[in-house]
Parts: sequence; C-alpha cells; structure tokens
Amino acid sequence: MGRIKKKGTAGQAKNFITRTQAVRKLQVSLPDFRKLCIWKGIYPREPRSKKKASKSAGHSTTFYYTKDIQYLLHEPLLQKFRDQKALEKKISKALGRGDVSDAKRLEGNASRPEKTGRTKYTLDHVIRERYPTFVDALRDLDDCLSMLFLFANLPSTDTVPAKMIARCERLCLEFEHYLIVSNSLRKSFLSIKGIYYQATIQGQDILWLVPYRFNQRVTGDVDFRIMGTFVEFYQTLLGFVNFRLYTSVGLVYPPKFDKARDDLGAELGAFSLEGNGVGAIEQPKQITNGEKSKPDPKLQAEIDKLMSQLNQPEKETGQEPPTSQTLADDEEEPTDTIDKFEPTAPGGDILLQPSYSATDPSTLFSNFTFFLSRETPRQPLEFILKAFGCKRIGWDAVLGEGAYTHNESDPSITHQVVDRPPIADLEAEEQTEDNQTAQKLRPGSRVPGRIYIQPQWVWDSVNDEELKRPDLYAPGAQLPPHLSPFVKKVRGQYDPSAPLNEQEREDEELEAESDDEEDVSDEDEMADQEPKLLTTMEVDATAAGMDVAGSDDDSESQEGDLDNDEEFGGFSDAESDEEDEAATLAMQRQRELEAEAKGEQVEEKKVDPVAKAKADARKKAAKKAKEEDEELERAKMMMSRKKRKILEKMVYSNKKKDSEAETLRAKRRKIEKSGKAAPRA
Amino acid sequence: MAPSTVDRRKRKAVSTDDVASSDVESEVEFGDGLLEGILSQSESEDSDEDSNAEEDSDEEEIDLEELEALDSDEIPSEESEDEAEELNGGLVKSNGTKTLPVREQALLAEEDDKPNYTVTTDANGGERYVYEEIDPVYDSDDSDAPITTNTIGNIPLSFYDSYPHIGYDINGKRIMRPAKGEALDALLDSIDIPKGWTGLTDPATGKPLNLSQDELEILRRIQTNEMPEEGYDPYPATVEYFTGIEEIMPLSAAPEPKRRFLPSKHEAKRVMKIVRAIRQGRILPYRPPEERQEEEEETHYDIWQDEQPRPDHIMNIPAPKIAPPGYDLSYNPPPEYLPTKAEKQSWDSADPEDREKEYLPTAYGSLRKVPGYEKFINERFERSLDLYLAPRVRKNRLNIDPASLLPKLPRPEELKPFPTVCSTLFRGHDGRVRSLAIDPSGVWLASGGDDGTVRVWELLTGRQIWSANIGDEEAVNAVRWRPGRDAVILSAAAGEDVYLLVPPVVDPETDAASRELLDRGFGHATNATQALTANGARKEPVAKWARPGSRLEDEGVLIKITLRTTVKVISWHRRGDFFSTVSPTAQKSAVAIHTLSKHLTQIPFRRLPGIAQTVQFHPSRPLFFVATQRTIRSYDLQKQELVKIIQPGARWISSFDIHPGGDNLIVGSYDRRLLWHDLDLSTRPYKTMRFHQKAIRAVKYHKGGFPLFADASDDGSLQIFHGKVVEDMMENATIVPVKVLKGHKVKSALGVMDIDWHPREPWCVSAGADGTCRLWM
Repeated sequence: MGRIKKKGTAGQAKNFITRTQAVRKLQVSLPDFRKLCIWKGIYPREPRSKKKASKSAGHSTTFYYTKDIQYLLHEPLLQKFRDQKALEKKISKALGRGDVSDAKRLEGNASRPEKTGRTKYTLDHVIRERYPTFVDALRDLDDCLSMLFLFANLPSTDTVPAKMIARCERLCLEFEHYLIVSNSLRKSFLSIKGIYYQATIQGQDILWLVPYRFNQRVTGDVDFRIMGTFVEFYQTLLGFVNFRLYTSVGLVYPPKFDKARDDLGAELGAFSLEGNGVGAIEQPKQITNGEKSKPDPKLQAEIDKLMSQLNQPEKETGQEPPTSQTLADDEEEPTDTIDKFEPTAPGGDILLQPSYSATDPSTLFSNFTFFLSRETPRQPLEFILKAFGCKRIGWDAVLGEGAYTHNESDPSITHQVVDRPPIADLEAEEQTEDNQTAQKLRPGSRVPGRIYIQPQWVWDSVNDEELKRPDLYAPGAQLPPHLSPFVKKVRGQYDPSAPLNEQEREDEELEAESDDEEDVSDEDEMADQEPKLLTTMEVDATAAGMDVAGSDDDSESQEGDLDNDEEFGGFSDAESDEEDEAATLAMQRQRELEAEAKGEQVEEKKVDPVAKAKADARKKAAKKAKEEDEELERAKMMMSRKKRKILEKMVYSNKKKDSEAETLRAKRRKIEKSGKAAPRA
Repeated sequence: MAPSTVDRRKRKAVSTDDVASSDVESEVEFGDGLLEGILSQSESEDSDEDSNAEEDSDEEEIDLEELEALDSDEIPSEESEDEAEELNGGLVKSNGTKTLPVREQALLAEEDDKPNYTVTTDANGGERYVYEEIDPVYDSDDSDAPITTNTIGNIPLSFYDSYPHIGYDINGKRIMRPAKGEALDALLDSIDIPKGWTGLTDPATGKPLNLSQDELEILRRIQTNEMPEEGYDPYPATVEYFTGIEEIMPLSAAPEPKRRFLPSKHEAKRVMKIVRAIRQGRILPYRPPEERQEEEEETHYDIWQDEQPRPDHIMNIPAPKIAPPGYDLSYNPPPEYLPTKAEKQSWDSADPEDREKEYLPTAYGSLRKVPGYEKFINERFERSLDLYLAPRVRKNRLNIDPASLLPKLPRPEELKPFPTVCSTLFRGHDGRVRSLAIDPSGVWLASGGDDGTVRVWELLTGRQIWSANIGDEEAVNAVRWRPGRDAVILSAAAGEDVYLLVPPVVDPETDAASRELLDRGFGHATNATQALTANGARKEPVAKWARPGSRLEDEGVLIKITLRTTVKVISWHRRGDFFSTVSPTAQKSAVAIHTLSKHLTQIPFRRLPGIAQTVQFHPSRPLFFVATQRTIRSYDLQKQELVKIIQPGARWISSFDIHPGGDNLIVGSYDRRLLWHDLDLSTRPYKTMRFHQKAIRAVKYHKGGFPLFADASDDGSLQIFHGKVVEDMMENATIVPVKVLKGHKVKSALGVMDIDWHPREPWCVSAGADGTCRLWM
C-alpha cells in the first residue's frame, strides 16, 4: 500500500496557476506581465474544474498553465524589464535629489517607446519562438495586418507616437507592394466596417480589414497601451515577414523610401523597389503610351466607334498578344499542372481534382488604363488595381502624387472610375472639341471611347475573376448588390446569388402561396414548377442528412403539439394513404352525385390540372415529411438522454439557421414580387 | 522724476530766492549743526543749544512734508543746516555781547573738568549760576533723520507769499524769507550754471537747491546700481571664529608626515591614464552632445533561415480567426438583408450587449456615401483583449450533421416484416377476453374470457370452430396450448381449476394421440396417490387430477386439475410434459409444477419472497424463472438452487418472456415500463422503454425466427419492437421500435389483455377487453 497522496500536489491543482500567483512568481509588475503575455502568446486557460484548480475557495479567477509561466521565467525580456525598473528607480531617485544631470544621463539609457517609437530591446527571438516556420507566421498574420493598417490610419497622440504610426504605414505599404509584385491578392470586399482583403501567400489565406480613410473615433474605454504592446510585436513580425517575402521574389528589403514624394501624398509611389540580383523579378514599370503624343481626332473617332461596338467583349481592346502568349504558355509547360482525367467508360468512380481558376489574377486589368476621379478612394483602388495587373493608373491631382497621369483627357485612358451622380443634361457634341485641348474636363462630361464605371465594378470583377458588364455599374445606375466573396456556399443556407426557386424547399413556395390564397394559377407557373421539383430531386440524391433534419423540424413545427419525448409514433403505412385516396374518391363520388342531382356536368373540377398537381405535390410533401418525422422519432427514442440533448441542441441551431434563411427567402420573394429588385450580376 | 508742475514751482522758487546762495555756500563749510551738537560744547550757549535741539525736531517734520509734497530727490538735510547756520548767525547778531564769553567757554570746554554752568550776577548783584540747558541727546537715537527747520507743516509755501517770513522754526521764531535777487540775476544764474546747480528749489528754505560734488557722486552711484558709499564692501571676508585666530601652540606636536611633502603617485597615475587616453584619442577634449541615435535603421534579416517545423504543443490552442464578413456586412447588400422597420426598432431598443450583431445592415448605394465605422477601434481593441485575456477552451463544435448522432438503425425495409394492420377480428366473446394462444401449428387460435368459455378459432378466417364453457361463473384466466406437434392439447385455467382439453378440430389420429397422452397418466397418478396416501395418510394432495364430468368430456375437456386457489397463469415446458401454474393469492403453493405424464402436481417453493406473478421455463436449459412483484428469480431445476435474481426495477411485474436464445428476457410491468434484460450483461435492465401511457399487461417474443417482440397495454395499443440479438457476445442487442398497433377499445380502464405470436409468421394476435381478438399481420 502506497502512501496517501496529499491533496493539491498533482493534477489540475498543479497544472494551473492563478494570475496573481504567476505575477508573484515572475516578480514583475502587472503591466509587464501583460506585455510578456502578449508577446509570448500566453493566454489564460479554462480548467476543467475550477474548484480543483484553485487552491482557495474563492470565486472565479484567471488561470494560466503552470508550465507556461515556468517557461516565462527563462525569458530574456524579463531581465530587460527588471533592468528598466531599476533604471526608473535610479532616475526618480536622482530627480528626488535634484540631480538633474544625473537623471538626464540615466534617462538616456531608459526605454521610452512612447517618445521614440522604439524600445531598447528587440522581439526577434520571440518571433522566432512563436513562429518556428515562416508559414506559421503567415498563418497568424490576420490580426497583425488588421492592427497595423488601423494604426497606419490613426492620428498621433501622446499614447500613439507619430513615429509608430509612420512605421506602421511604411510596413503596410511595403506589404502591399509585395502583394502587387507577387499578384497574391485574391479577394476584396467593401463592407460597412472597412475594406476586407484576402491574399493567398504560400497557400495561406490571409484576411485583413482596412478601415476607410476617416478620422477614427477614439473612445475613452480603449487602452492604447495594450494596443501599443500588440503593435510593437506586430511591427517586428511584419518587418521580418516583409523581408522574407521581398527576398523570396528577388527584391531588396527595405525598399527605397522617398520622403519627399511621400510628403506629396504618393503613398505606394513613394517606394522604389529594386532587385537584389538573385531572383528574377518583374518590376512594375511605367508603360508609356505612344498614342499620348498626338491625339489624332480621326483615331479618336475610330476608337470611339470600336468602343461603342465592343460593349460586352471589352477584353478585346488589346488582347491579341496575350492570346498568343497564353497559347505559347500552354505548349511550354505541360509538366506543372495536373492533367484532367476524364472517365472514358461509364461505371468508374469519379475522383475529385483540384481545379484551377481560369484567369490569372495578374492579367485581369493588365491591358487597361484607369483614371480615378477625385471623389473615389484612391488608396484602395490603386492598390487593388495594381494588385490585379493594372500598370497605368491616373488620378486627379487632388488625390496626390504618383499617378500615371493627372490629365483626365489622356487618350490612353480606357476606364474611368466615377462615383458621382450624373448631371442630367449631358451634351455629347459640345465636348468633342474640348477633350482634345482642355486639360481639365467639365465635371460630368464624358470622353467618348472610355468606359465609365463605379468603384464597385472593380471589386466585383476582382471577386468573380472576370470583368463584369460595365453597363450595370455605369455612373448613377442602381448597383447590383455587392456580395461577400468569403461566404462559403453551404447547402441549406440562403445564397443571394442563386435564383430563388433553386434553393427553397419544395413546399416552401406552396406554403407561401397558400398564404396568398393561390390567386395566381398560370400555365407557366406549372412549367416553372417542374424543373424545380427536378432540382430538388437531384439535391436530395446528393444530400447530406442536414437538410433532412431541417425539413423534419419544419414539418414538426407544422404538426405542432407532438410530444417527442416519451411518445412513439410508429410507422406510417399505406393505410393512411389509402384512406386519403378513399376519402378523395368518396368526395369525388359525392360531388358527382350532387352534380347529377342538380343536373350539371362535373368536368370543371378535372380541367384544373394545376391545382391538382399542386395538391398532389403538397400531399406528397406532407407524406414524406411525416415519414421522415416518424423515422427521426424512432431514432431519437433509442438514444440516451445525454445524446438526445446534444442532438436537440444541434437541431435547434440548425433550425435557427434554417429559419434565418427562410426569412431571407421570404423577404426576397416579396421583393421580387413587388418588382423592385436590383439586377443581380 | 518729479512731475512738471512741481518743477515749475521750483523754478519759481529759484527765481524768488537766490540771494543767500553764495552765503549758503560759504556756510556749508562752516559747520555742521549736527556735528556741533554731538562732538563738542564749543558753542554751548544756552539759546544756541536750545535752538539747535529744536531745529532737529523741526527738520524732521519738514522733511516729511517735503517728501510728500514734492517727492523730489533733493536732500533736505543740507538746507536745514543752512537754515540752522542762518539762525545761528541771527542769534549771534542778536546777542553779540555775549559771544565772547561763550567763545571762552567753548575754549575752556576743551578741558574735561569744566563746570556745566556759568556764574553771572543777578539783578541784586548776587552770584547767579546759570546752568546750561541739558541736552537730552534725542537725536542720538535717530541720527540719520533729517533736521526739520520749518514747522509750518504740509502746506504750500505760497500761503506765506504776502509775509516777510516763510514759516516758523521749532522755537516759534519766524524764518525770514531769504532775500530775492533780480530777474536779471536769475537769468544770469541760468546762463552760467553754477556748480551743483539743480534748477530745483528747496521747499523748506525757498532757496535754489544745489548739490555738492559728493552728493552728485552719490546720485551717480545710486543710478548705476553701485553702493552709494564709496569703498563700502558689502561682502567682507568672513573671519572664522576659530580658525581666524592663529593658534600659537599646535594641537599635536607630531611632525608633519612625509606624504605632505611628496607628490601623490596615485594621482600621477590617474593623470597619466587620462593623458594617455587623450594622446591615443580615446578621450576627446570636447564632444558635442549627441542627439539620441535612435534613427538607426533596424536590422532586417531572414529570421526563418534555418526554419524547422515544430509541432505545436499538445495543449496549445491557437487563437480563433475572426469570422469572414457575410453578405449583410456589405455596403450594398442584397435588399433581403436589410432589416425591416420592426427589426431595426428592436435592434435599436436592445442593449448593446444583447444584440445578436453589433451592426445593422445598411445599404449606402454608392461608395462615396459610406461613412467611417464608428466602432472600428473598439472592435480591434476587443479583439486584442480577447487575444491575451480570454481563457481559451477547446470546444468541440457540433458542426456535424445531427443525423450522424442518431444511432445507426436498420432501415425500415430491413426491419420488415412486422405486423402492421389488423387483418382479422375475432368476435364472439361476451366480456373481456382474458387470454389467448395460437397453437403450435399456427392454424388455430384459442381464447378464453370472462364469459367462462374457451373458444378455438380458425386464425386466418376468424371463424369460431369450437367453444366450451368450462368455468361456470369463473372467468377463464389463461389459455395455453401444449407445445409440440404430436398432440393438440389446450390448457385453460378458470378459477381454481386447470382444464386440459383436446378440441375436436384436428384430424382423428392426432385427436386420438392427444387423448391417449392425456389419459396415460391416470394409472400412474392413482398409483402415486395411493403410494402417497400409504406413506403419509394425513397429507392432502396439492391438486386433484380428475375427469371434469361427462358434459365437458363430450365437449373435449378431458382433465380437470383442481388447485387450492385461483390460477392465473399457465406456462408450459418446451417438451410438453410439464407445465406450471401460478396462483398468486396462494401463500405457499403459489407456483405449482404439473407433470402431465404422471398427473402429478408439485410445489417447488415452500416460500417465496413476494407474491408470485408469473413463471417461465427456460427454452433450452433446465432453468425455471419465477417472477414476483419486484424480482425475477431463476432456479436450476436439476441442482435445485437459485441461479440468479434479476432486478428489473419495476414496481410490479406483470409479465415477462424469455428470448428463444435464452440469454435475454423482456419484462412488462404495471408501472408502464418495458424492460429488456441481457442476462449475461447484468441483473439490471439493458434498456428501459416507456412508451405506454398505461400499464403493460403482456409481453411476448416471437418464437419462430423473427427478431420481434410485442407488448400489450391497458391503453389499448400494442407496440411492436424489432429486437435483434446477435450471436456475438460483444455486441448488444439492437432494439428498434417499429410499430404501434391500435384498434382495441379501452373498456373500464383495460385495453389489451394478452398477446401471442404466430409460431412461424410475423403475425400476432391480441386479446382485448372489448371482447374481441385481433390478428395483426
């Protein structure tokens, strides 16, 4: 027989340590502990049993892993903190003595990041520890980028030194430059919070949010010291990531930064990238256009004509060389890609293959010249256009330095991004002479042969990886809805891009219509219905059980008061159906008899095939629902109580999702019926 | 500087009194009144001294007056002295006779022992001592106070314009106006400025105010912020009290140490060190105070140069990523995402913490109209708080298909066949049908009810073939066929009697065989009973085996076994030689085992721990199960010992049945529970099913190969279950409820009384309290 174990020496009691204990063990102040935790990525844990973990009988506290804290004990930063603390003591002592020169000398050694924007210590080793591989760092870049982009847009205060902001801005712009060079930006989304970007670097999807360029509202409950600690770490991280990224594409890091140009507002343009002579790079060159020298009216007219013809295939404006290139590409590299396997004979299993997107993101805008009107947000547009291959972007001189051209009437411009309502009386003829000579166009006037679009066109084109129809995005037009590209389409969830009748349950419209007292009974609706049923059949064949469960719940809610706990419904069988049939037959006969008594014909009931089909469908649906319901009930009865609870929880959440989707569908149905819907791209 | 008006007045004054200017000058040297008074008694003439003292006090007043009236920078003491001189002069003149003796006196006064009186002759010719006036030396206290001469106070001098005097001295004597020069003199005066001319008039005397060279020097010094007195040292060298005095004798007589006379080597060393450093350039004589060199570019290098993937610590929980934006976050969402008015209102009225989303979907229509997001910083701050402050727990999200949680059930098609529909209705009984059974061949159904009849029906058609009234007033409580195909024997219990019948429904051979089987035991029984009586005459037999009487014998009832109390249950052994009956009300002989071949009745249990409810023989082994109210006990009949006590946990067991495999049994109870026991597993139930609203009356396994069992309840329904028992010991039985059969009507709180399965087909029959039997197939 072994010795009796003492309580609190093993297990949870040993594994967890409260925050107070941790601070006491490390012998640092609470703010220093906070800093350490932020940098080292140490976070509180939730012990399985708080009672066992805490030695005292007190209420809830924050628990850390004892191992984590032990690991912090060996942190070199801890020594730095202690040194700093000792130094602060010396300074205050010197000041107390009135020894100003001594205090000043000591102050020179102290770390004052809020003044200098820099600390006395580096966080390099922490980065290395937290991210053993580069991919790990990329994986954790979401918060880093969001935070740095926010700080790059903040006003400087005494808690947020201007140097910190400038450094954030530089790092962000450098990162954007990498994305432009490597064409790794994938998606972007204009939300009410800001602009979301998603880039894919080395297979890692990085999503970050950039605020719109407005003064940020700073409320009192935000502690900038905490944010500053994060920013300090993130700056170091992004610096190293940028270095690695730049060197990986053969660029020198840091790129040359032109202060004078930056002061003029050339944000991305203030940097000049240069190759390090190791890897091949493609430098974003300024392509000068030959046409620019002599704007020939004849040529202009020709272009106008061309442009008016090419409304839908506007890619063709200068497409000849790329096509040949792509052809050549196809021949050149047969080894890299995955070959497509087509089954030659029926009967084999279909194996899934990853699919490549058809278009290369680097060529989406590569043949166009954009001009940004002065009301458009330049920074995001410039970035996104450049990231998708556009080489020539001009903008109004108001928007800052670094444009391809400030001349709005430059003939090489193919697209102009406009975000102002059109002026009603727009004479086409009066500007024909003007646009050759005038540097500045009258606001609202149009240059022929140029596509005018609203900014959303750029985003939608980028997200769909194809150029959208520009007429939908013309200035002043009601824009199609801007959809988030990040939503994964899940079966059963509402998808606003798909037509309504594809995604609703088969009885949903019926229900809705029965609510509307089925006043519409047209032949074409019948025609509508058939394909719909077909699609649902298809869907059911491939369906996961999710949908079944969902529809079950719906039918259950229809049935209402079925107590599902202790009751067992048994199986439905042919009997009820037969009874139904019999009932309808009896009804029919009854009607016939009545009709005979009145001396009338009974044909009119039979002529209405629509109603009958509808009724059939409804009956079928009801029957199916009932069957499924019975099935579910049966299965449920066999589960333990715990499992049943879990199931019910899940069913509840699914049901909630379904009901959300259903309300959305209902709203849309209403909108579509009222005919006020915007066109869907 | 003084205001201009004052200046003008002074000028006027200057123009008026200038006569005595030269006089004044001359008399300045003559003597200082003050000094006179203090130093010597040389002019110690009474009146003189008198006037002098009075002048002192007078002068003070005037000085005050002047300060207030003029606030000029003249020095009034000078004039007053002048005045004093003048008065002196006047005095001298007035009593010129007495000057000489006064002089003498003054001379005499040089000696120390001079008397302080003079001796004169009075009017009588007598000697008279005239004492000097006592000088109280008032002015010794305030020596620097100016001497006042004019006592008129603080009034303009112009008041005296019409008088020959300008005021009064301390003694009340008039101060005469100084003689005035002509206007030409004044002009001349102004042309050649005399030394010390200030252009001011001394208000006290009315004479032009002149300053001496010394006074001017003092003024200059004051103006240049120097000490007014020349040669005055404000900071004299401190004379230390002790060290200032040079001691003659030393404190210690020790001689001075040598080191006092040698240059320090240590200092030389340190100096040389510095000199060397300067020569080598390590120490620069002057270094400009450098700006902090924080501008130095941070070093960038490839921190992941030799990266080695390291698996995450097993307890590490990476921070969850922020969810990507959905459609409703778009600046121009599809219209169906926009909130309705009601939704908007509820969002507005809700507490910010209670809101499901922290934003309200809004359509801005155009990018230029999109405002900045107010809570951007707050959200980011929240996120950073979450990152370092929120406890992380690995939560298994139930992001799976809920259907996968459901137990894997056999599909309904696999579960088939099972009875689903009522195919035949057996009507005929008057009152409840208490019990029923299908014969081993599966052709006939026997039933017994409250009307005391036993009826045999053709199962498929529902036609009644035969009936016998066995219990006259008693209800038929149990009807069971004897197992085995060789004979067709029906047992029925009515009241205390158990009847064995051979219904005339079979072919004659079987009929004969059955009768023969029943009768075979008669001889044996008589022998046995005789033996019994021979052994113990007093002992009364437990049961009486007898012929029921000719009326019944004609109907096919061949044997009547009379027990002591009402028999409720009959249960046959699989071989058909034994059967057991239960009469719950009997105390000791509740359970009886009857041997058909010997017409023998035995009471196996002398004492049971409860009221016996029902019994069953094990289908393959010599085990015997007895159910009391709470427990089921299994006894080994050969070893005659208790094997197992099964505790279903029910309050009142109504019935139970043993699976044909022999390892499982189901128990029905009056407290609405149906319990499945795996005998190998535990004495506790493996599954408890509570699907009935009312008590369960009967449970029964299908014995012919289908994995089915059913129960009958007082709520008028039968429930059919699929209960598959696998040979594999590791796998539990799967129990699937498959069907509820409803049809029987509930009469006086009783629904279905008994149930039985067809021996081969998946059909079952049920006996209802409504007087019918139903065949479900």
